[in-house]
Amino acid sequence: MRSVVLGLLGTTLDVGKSADRWQSWRPTVSVCRQPDLIVHRFELLHDRRSASLAAVVQRDIQTVSPETEVRLHQIEFQDPWDFGQVYETLFAFAKNYPFDEAEDYLVHITTGTHVAQICLFLLTEARWLPARLLQCSPDRDRSAPGKISIIDLDLSRYDGIASRFQQEQREAASFLKGGIETRNPAFNKLIDRIEQVAIATRDPLLLMGPTGAGKSRLAKRIFDLKKARHAVKGDFVDVNCATLRGDGAMSTLFGHTKGAFTGALKDRPGLLRTADNGVLFLDEIGELGLDEQAMLLRALEDKTFLPMGSDRASHSDFQLIAGTNRDLLSAVREGRFREDLLARINLWTFTLPGLSARPEDIEPNLQFELDQYARRTGRQITFSKEARKKFLDFAVSAAAAWKGNFRDLNAAVSRMATLSLGGRIGVETVQEEIDRLLASWGEPTAVDPLADVLPQDQLAELDPFDRAQLTKVIEVCRRSRSLSEASRLLFEKSRARKTSTNDADRLKKYLARFGLAWERFQRA
Amino acid sequence: MITINGILGEGGGQILRTSLSLSLCTGQPFRIENIKAGRQKPGLMRQHLTAVLAAAEVGGADVEGAVLGSQALTFRPGKVRAGEYKFVIGTAGSGTLVFQTVLPALMMAEGASHIVVEGGTHNEAAPPYDFLVRSFLPLLARMGPKVAAAFERYGFYPAGGGRFAASIAPALRLMQLHLGERGEITHRRVRAVVANLPYHIAQREVKTAAGRLNWGEDSFKAESTRESNGPGNVVMVEVGSAEVTEIFTAFGKMQVSAEAVADMAAREAREYLASKAVAAEHLTDQLLLPMALAGGGSFTALKLNPHARTNMEVIREFLPVEFTTEDQGDYQLVQVQERQAR
Repeated sequence: MRSVVLGLLGTTLDVGKSADRWQSWRPTVSVCRQPDLIVHRFELLHDRRSASLAAVVQRDIQTVSPETEVRLHQIEFQDPWDFGQVYETLFAFAKNYPFDEAEDYLVHITTGTHVAQICLFLLTEARWLPARLLQCSPDRDRSAPGKISIIDLDLSRYDGIASRFQQEQREAASFLKGGIETRNPAFNKLIDRIEQVAIATRDPLLLMGPTGAGKSRLAKRIFDLKKARHAVKGDFVDVNCATLRGDGAMSTLFGHTKGAFTGALKDRPGLLRTADNGVLFLDEIGELGLDEQAMLLRALEDKTFLPMGSDRASHSDFQLIAGTNRDLLSAVREGRFREDLLARINLWTFTLPGLSARPEDIEPNLQFELDQYARRTGRQITFSKEARKKFLDFAVSAAAAWKGNFRDLNAAVSRMATLSLGGRIGVETVQEEIDRLLASWGEPTAVDPLADVLPQDQLAELDPFDRAQLTKVIEVCRRSRSLSEASRLLFEKSRARKTSTNDADRLKKYLARFGLAWERFQRA
Repeated sequence: MITINGILGEGGGQILRTSLSLSLCTGQPFRIENIKAGRQKPGLMRQHLTAVLAAAEVGGADVEGAVLGSQALTFRPGKVRAGEYKFVIGTAGSGTLVFQTVLPALMMAEGASHIVVEGGTHNEAAPPYDFLVRSFLPLLARMGPKVAAAFERYGFYPAGGGRFAASIAPALRLMQLHLGERGEITHRRVRAVVANLPYHIAQREVKTAAGRLNWGEDSFKAESTRESNGPGNVVMVEVGSAEVTEIFTAFGKMQVSAEAVADMAAREAREYLASKAVAAEHLTDQLLLPMALAGGGSFTALKLNPHARTNMEVIREFLPVEFTTEDQGDYQLVQVQERQAR
């Protein structure tokens, strides 16, 4: 690969026209004298006043390095210490330069004013100059070529920095996970991505996932991470929108002025204002009223909003993290959520899986909950070996629905810990807890709607095909007021096509096949 | 294929150049590995690359690994082509070193050659032009090849830009040369050259060097030249005898007085004069290769440095010769013989 150096003529360091110039170290010439670098081309930038110096340097480079072609480019800075001017001039050069993939570019930053060096650095960092930086320094013997060092701004190329970087990233990810060594690959990938986005952006983040999946906890940790990285100055403000209703909602979020309504005894800044320069976490955002949605959208777009009773706009620059366990798209279809607001907050959407989707993570989370309990109460709790196994076996089994996700796990651990004798959770405590959990989720067997309709032996003989069909039919029957209503619902399509004449009879006959009569489902 | 270990002894560059020369002369390809391994900057440096490219040009060679920093190089020579060459070398590679790399092949080629070299002519760590012309080439002439050199400009470190030309009348076979003890001194000279520097430096140098050697004023020769890109200063103490002319060189440097520079050259000359050996350190190094190409020869050497030992090892890889050295008191007797098949 051919090496091409881009550099400014040093009007101090590269100076010298008499023979003794060879006894001083001239950076531009010395770059071309390195034993381990051949510069195939040198693009030397100079101003009009330095044209004759540039010619000397060009000639000298050709003597000491016949391999180097020196191209002179005349550029003009009226003031080489004026940042804007220098940047613009160098930027124009970079934009017009025909960079070629087959060449290796080095930007020489030893010469030129500090302002020029900064500009060259910025242009390289922004990849307007697709190059590495080249620095050189003299030896004690000033006639020697001295040393060069090449700095690649792609930090991932430095083993030391890269591993430091990965370490930081791991720490950040671990931070977001609250120090829990999660093992679920999909979840870990999700967290890595959130970490990347959370530090880099001030745009809204949308956290989706079932209740108890850890949305609030994650939102708080995202804030803490941003704070630790100096990516946020203000505070963390969080509110569950389901708790906001009526006038109170508006005033809680956007504030009010004194006397805005009865009971508005003094000014209230509102949560948005409090979150200025910080992070606002709105959980259950789908529960927010339409008026509040409109105001929130304006606050996101203009960073301003109107407090109640005020005709002066209030200002707040916050990052929004929204949480929802609802499908906001269907809420939009139903007219309960503004489409434009969804579009605004649906930029970075992360779906947190429920606990049952992360069976690998139950064990580390169990340990985490135990540690939390110990920290909270000062009681160190352990499982007996069998008890631990029993609980984990259950926790990852199909029977464990974990409907409340981490909330359930947290409650289960708290209960078991409280009930444990001498700080040790035994098999009996675990069994008791399993029963309690199953009951709270509605035990799968009890949920079977056929159990109290058909005798046990008949139920055992039933094919899954019939079981599914019958379950649905009975469910419809139970909520219908009459046989004809039930049959209308069940044969709705064929009825519309007029291919069925007597739906009620059809349903009656179907039920009779299982020895069932319609009257059984009448609540009255 | 001949494989040379680049960390063998000292002087990575010398190993490479000897290998290139002999590969061209014998037509044998070679591979050199671990080039400068373990050094601060391992691998092929620029001055080595210059020599490789020049050798490849003269010998129509196929080269693999001829890039900066390469730690292995494979060189497969084609047919050596006599003719006109011009080598332009930056300061990083001394012109005389490149000249010496291609000389053995061209001095035994079918047909005359003319070489123009631009670059360094008087640099440290390389034989200066004067040494080549007054010391080395006359001995080579006695073995057959006649090389006539013409000097144009000085090329001092770091500016370079010197220039000389050489016409080579080759000899297909080399005659063996045997050089015994040195014999009577026939001429003495101290020459100091300054380029773009005050003349008094050269004057002080010749005076100091001659003084150290108890030589008279008739041996002084202080010169000032403008035929040089940059500044430069060299002191050359020349000792001539019936068999050989030896030259001892020292270079002026910033922060080093003219007297100290002259002293360095004089000290080496005194050491040589105190013995009966024909060749001092550098000439010893230079004679090994042509004598091996001639299939035999001998000379008396002031001392054998590690450079010379390494050179012998490399030469033995390419040529069926062996070297014997015998300590003769104040000098070493170096003999080159055809290796007996065992």
